[in-house]
Amino acid sequence: MSQTVANALPLLIVLSSLLPGLVIFALREDQQGLRTFLNLAGVVVKLVLTGVMIVGVSHGLSFRFVVPFIPGGDLILQTDALSLQFVGLSSVLWLATTLYAIGYLGGSPLRSRFFGYFSLCVSATVGLAMAGNLVSFLLFYELLTLATFPLVVHRGTPDALRAGRVYLAYTLGGGTLVLMGVALLHTLTGSPDFVPGGYLKALVEQHPFSLTLAFVLLVTGLGVKAAIVPLHGWLPRAMVAPAPVSALLHAVAVVKAGAFGIIRVVYDVFGAGPVQVLDLAQPLLWAAAATMVYASLRALQQREIKKLLAYSTVSQVSYIILGVALLGPIAATGALVHLVHQGLMKVTLFYCAGNFAESLHVHRLRDMNGIGQRMPLTMAAFTVGALGMIGVPPIAGFISKWYLGLGALEVGQDWVLLVLVGSGLLNAAYFLPVLYRGWFGRAPDAWPGDTQLGGGTPGWRETHWMLLAPTLFTATLSLLAGVLAGTGFSPLAWAQLIIATEFAP
Amino acid sequence: MTLALISLLTPLAMALLLLLSRSRSGWWVMGSSLVSLIAALGALHGVIQDGAQWMHLGGWDAPLAIRFRLMPVSALLLVFTALIHLLVSVYAERSRHSQTQRTDYWPLSSLLHASLAALWLSHDLFNWYITLELLGLVAVAMVTISGAKAYVPALRYLLLSLVASLFYLLGVVLLYGHYGVLDLALLADAAKADPTTRLALALMTLGLMLKAAFWPLHLWLPPAHASAPTAVSALLSALVVKGPLFILWLLWSELAPAELGQEAGPVIAVAGVLALIFGGWSALRAPYLKTLVAYSTVAQLGYAMMALGLLLHWQRPELHVALWLFVLAHGLAKVSMFLAAGEMQATLGSKSVGVLKGATQTMPIAMFAFAVAGGSLIGLPPSGGFLAKWVLLRPLLLEPAHWPWAAGVLIGTLMSAGYVFRVVVLSFDRAHPTRPDHRPDLFAQWLALLPALLVWGMALISDPLILWLTGGAP
Repeated sequence: MSQTVANALPLLIVLSSLLPGLVIFALREDQQGLRTFLNLAGVVVKLVLTGVMIVGVSHGLSFRFVVPFIPGGDLILQTDALSLQFVGLSSVLWLATTLYAIGYLGGSPLRSRFFGYFSLCVSATVGLAMAGNLVSFLLFYELLTLATFPLVVHRGTPDALRAGRVYLAYTLGGGTLVLMGVALLHTLTGSPDFVPGGYLKALVEQHPFSLTLAFVLLVTGLGVKAAIVPLHGWLPRAMVAPAPVSALLHAVAVVKAGAFGIIRVVYDVFGAGPVQVLDLAQPLLWAAAATMVYASLRALQQREIKKLLAYSTVSQVSYIILGVALLGPIAATGALVHLVHQGLMKVTLFYCAGNFAESLHVHRLRDMNGIGQRMPLTMAAFTVGALGMIGVPPIAGFISKWYLGLGALEVGQDWVLLVLVGSGLLNAAYFLPVLYRGWFGRAPDAWPGDTQLGGGTPGWRETHWMLLAPTLFTATLSLLAGVLAGTGFSPLAWAQLIIATEFAP
Repeated sequence: MTLALISLLTPLAMALLLLLSRSRSGWWVMGSSLVSLIAALGALHGVIQDGAQWMHLGGWDAPLAIRFRLMPVSALLLVFTALIHLLVSVYAERSRHSQTQRTDYWPLSSLLHASLAALWLSHDLFNWYITLELLGLVAVAMVTISGAKAYVPALRYLLLSLVASLFYLLGVVLLYGHYGVLDLALLADAAKADPTTRLALALMTLGLMLKAAFWPLHLWLPPAHASAPTAVSALLSALVVKGPLFILWLLWSELAPAELGQEAGPVIAVAGVLALIFGGWSALRAPYLKTLVAYSTVAQLGYAMMALGLLLHWQRPELHVALWLFVLAHGLAKVSMFLAAGEMQATLGSKSVGVLKGATQTMPIAMFAFAVAGGSLIGLPPSGGFLAKWVLLRPLLLEPAHWPWAAGVLIGTLMSAGYVFRVVVLSFDRAHPTRPDHRPDLFAQWLALLPALLVWGMALISDPLILWLTGGAP
């Protein structure tokens, strides 16, 4: 493959969803076939290109697309192991979620607008994953905010608009802080490429104050999207969005963009060394630990399935932040692998919640009694996700927690182990009753609203196949990611590869 | 220089032609704007290649002559003026809601174009007085096109504009009496920081700030801009308030002794921060759509004031770039916003902001234009507003002592996000959408989107833009 073609690949990956998205905007509502075709063609092209890049990168090829942007900061799209991990995750989950969304939205109005923004949102996510420096990252980070907003308010009800306002207030405020942080670092050194180990070592002595402020600005700004307490207020409210949007928001797009940004800032901008010297990790660690416990406690109080899942996301994303803030290689492996694992498990859980809502109009936990008898496959997927969140082996979540625990011991922060155990117990406390209800509760004589989607009989025809297939697919992936963690193809193996370069001496 | 003169004389000739022939056809004006645009592009190319050029009107030499100067900034502004006139004239002719077909809009807008071009090229104080006067009178006449409801704001605009011109003229007379010349370059050589110069500069600055609607002298702007026909509002916000700003910039960066600039700078910059805050606040609470957009002009001028004030205070040349980037980005974004707002309020049948409920469904393209242009006002990447803010932030962040100014920019960003998204969120309301009174006009909506797209991608051509603007720093 010639280098020019190779260098265009990152751009093509962004365009593979951007262009179909723009065309979809122009389609009429009734051009359903063409819209579905464009969506799926975009997904397939993106998956193929991602596959090519993964093979290429493991053979030592580099992919790097550069255009001039602002003075001292080009717009760079490039691939390293970390960005590929995120691109891979978002491509796979986009595939599943597109299918799910086509089934979910069925005959509802404004689907062209929905799928248009949906594609823009994924384009922004992969762009953000492949951004090669802070300035490019900032660009896609802001675009992501703008692309997700119409999805959050898609229903257009007063409730949705209220959630949309809150969402914007939080994310644009956070975005402004990120902008300030990026600009501050840019004045100090320009915006060089992300490098493992960071590029600010030389400045620590000279500008400790400026660097500290930049770190605080960046992490606070990114923390809004990563939903670190007390910046998490938008996330539970954003639950009014349609289920595929919530799934995407929680698993890859918004929340992960914040977590991914924090990983980039800590490892590839500042570097573990300067963060330690400036003593910036400890407050972040405390914030993450507090978030894990607080959000789990809030989850215990919820009565709606989606709200419960939202607080669970707040808590689970902070596992990633915790792993990053521990600043040790093993903990970092745990953080990176949890980025993928949490995505797979949480997307499964949201699909399940969507299935319950669409098929039986079950939104509240108390209506879930005996739902396993009516929708056994969905409930099985829900069980896999929930047990994974608690950290039961061999599901993916266990692997992340294991590495996080080991990592905490490695750097001598033993108290973190207590937090992990406590949060795990709390997870069990809010998920196990739900599982109990679902499997062993007495099914009601009539469901709140049985729509008979897909046939309406338990088993393969328990709901529309387009809702069921993605659910089972991601549930299987969460299981496989845990079972096959020891092999070379797992997210864990990839995370270890990334960490090997990040912590190289 | 010849090309720059063509760019100036074409609209002037067109204005006279239309007045004499009593024709009110828009096609002629579009043609002349296009010629002017092409000539301006040629002038820009020439000035980048060969550097600044002079022209002596009437062939006299320095102290007697009236001189025109073409520098990269003025060439860029010529292009900008012609481009916006072209866009707006297409809208004014083609849109069903423009209220300007077959009116006096056409000769007046040509005259406005010519006086702005003359302003960008002039280089002496009295010439500027003439162009300012012309600009003010033409602008007032254009506001009155929308009929009796605009008479009161137009009259107020006229009176304030005349008072402002008077202040400016007093300053000019003082300087002429003191130094005996009017040419800016000659004055710059002679100027000393004595009481007469101070007084003259203070008077001229007051007059110009009033004309440029700098906070707190902005009160005439929102009613005048909001009551004018849509095409006129776009021209007024995008171009007319930038004329006095140009003079102010040259007065202070070339004529005024540096120590005076250092004293006056912080005052102007603080007024800029206050403009961002109070202008933004008024926009947040404005009941009518066009008033909201007009108040956002007041707020956005705050960025330009900050750039100008800090430029004077620190004498840092990169702030010139920030200042003119703000002007260009704001101009394009405002054209888009006013055209979109005008289309939406005419189609949906009310002037109030609330009428936009459900506008993403009923008028998706106009609403998209409004949102994209709003993104530039907020300063989201990769828009022109972002680029300008980025260049402005650089010197602010360099030293911890300057960080409070950066906080001002931060507040400005949040305020503008507030008023832009106040409108955008409303437009997603599907529960109670406003039904359009007429079939939405697609062409006009796309026309509104065009400048928004231009400004949206402006950071991607930042390299040449900044090069041209730095070439123009005096």
